Amino acid sequence: MKYMILLYGSQQDYDALTGKAVPGKPAWAPADFAAMGAFMAEFSRDLAESGELVETRGLTAPVHARRLQLIQGAPVVTDGPYAETQEVLAGYWIVDCESFDRATQVAGRLAQCPGPAGAAADAVIDVRPVAESRDELEV
Amino acid sequence: MPDPGAEDLLRRLAPQVLGAVVRRYGHFDTAEDAVQEALLAASVQWPAAGVPADPRGWLIKVASRRLTDLLRSEQARQRREDAVARWVLPGEWAAPAADQAGRAGADDTLILLFLCCHPALSPASQIALTLRAVGGLTTAEIARAFLVPEATMTRRISRAKQGIKASGAPFSMPAPGDLAVRLAAVLHVLYLIFNEGYVSTTGPDLQRADLVAEAIRLARLLHRLLPDDGEVTGLLALMLLTDARRPARTGPHGELVPMAEQDRSRWDAAAIAEGVALITGALPRGATGPYQLQAAIAAVHDEAPTAEATDWPQIMALYEVLLRVSENPVVSLNQAVAVAMVRGPQAGLDLLAGLASDERIASDHRLHAVRGHLLEMAGDPAAARAAYQTAAERALSLPQQRYLQARANRLGDR
Repeated sequence: MKYMILLYGSQQDYDALTGKAVPGKPAWAPADFAAMGAFMAEFSRDLAESGELVETRGLTAPVHARRLQLIQGAPVVTDGPYAETQEVLAGYWIVDCESFDRATQVAGRLAQCPGPAGAAADAVIDVRPVAESRDELEV
Repeated sequence: MPDPGAEDLLRRLAPQVLGAVVRRYGHFDTAEDAVQEALLAASVQWPAAGVPADPRGWLIKVASRRLTDLLRSEQARQRREDAVARWVLPGEWAAPAADQAGRAGADDTLILLFLCCHPALSPASQIALTLRAVGGLTTAEIARAFLVPEATMTRRISRAKQGIKASGAPFSMPAPGDLAVRLAAVLHVLYLIFNEGYVSTTGPDLQRADLVAEAIRLARLLHRLLPDDGEVTGLLALMLLTDARRPARTGPHGELVPMAEQDRSRWDAAAIAEGVALITGALPRGATGPYQLQAAIAAVHDEAPTAEATDWPQIMALYEVLLRVSENPVVSLNQAVAVAMVRGPQAGLDLLAGLASDERIASDHRLHAVRGHLLEMAGDPAAARAAYQTAAERALSLPQQRYLQARANRLGDR
């Protein structure tokens, strides 16, 4: 059964990752960033080895987002639609696990991700079952 | 000063880096600023730290980071001013995917050239933006070349970028149906850059070799991208064949030397050989456009061992064809000279009489200079002197004024 593990971050989190001073957020030193990268690489490698990894991707900074909406019937693009403190999708894993509980266990390991003190204070990770077919969406 | 090798590398990479960043993230206007900053960072860091192993990758990375920063503050400002950056998705963006098939794989530099020469921009803006975004010149360098204050050029470039943004043009090749018209605009911009450098309408120097070199560099680039286009080949050949005479075109004191009096041994033989080979290869292929015809005329001049040996009947015939494909009073003026050389000065003067009522050229110094020349040939020094003097008063550059005044003075005491 497939599950999506979603990781969120705001533009401010991205700023902090590049070492910038952000009010209320610890700045990341290059060593912190390298440690996080190593942890994430190992996390994904282990999932690939267990055969549970379907796909994983990280997304570029929220400022690069384009939002499309119909406004008075016309498709309109908004550049950078998010407020800088708004938590938006930053990356995801799609895993193929035997159960929701196993997928949650996998996501739980992300809590061990290294980082400067307080960096994960308001971090949120969601785990959501992927619909296997349209039937599952029709109630 | 950075060494010229590194500077060439940066100028060559500039459009590739901008193309890669705009293709990836959009925001042509902001990306262009980000790339300029990356180029600046490279010109400061590379001489000290050495050129990185993958200079293009280095520049793309630095420019992308800079773009994120610039967008970050741009969006924060917009939110403060409650001005959301919104744009209506242009209809052509919804074109079916199959429509894109022929455009895939197009070179980023070529797409950039088309964008910079977008019909929504004025020619002055097209020129400035092409030199910056494709040529990799700084605003200060472009301002210097066009003898305008840097602030003026900054505004011109920023207006040009807003024009691109407002046009909604996507980062892709023009639609196949628009290609010919859009390519003609690109060629015209390169031609104007060359002319600005070669003729130098204002200022103390007769020619600005930096603009000439840049125009030739960009024409070479375009020729590499579109080797089978006859007019692209024709324009490059025209530039080479014209610029080949540069060493003999000015005397020791910077004065203008007319072609008939130039020391032909000082012409650039290699440039002439290259130009002749290009135009000889292009002429038999397909329709012959105005740049090919002008190049062919330049080639006839360049191949004459002496001024007297010039094949004027052939030049006259080429001007006739050129007038048929692009009616233009400056071409008519040149045609009058060719006719005078073949059929005698009076035949040329008769043609000029017809041009005097064409308001596009009637007050141009060139009309009066040619009239002076033909009257001199016809043996009427008093009228020739008056015509040269009128031309001198109307000439825009100092060397041209001095040359025409000298012509007039030479006839004065006869």
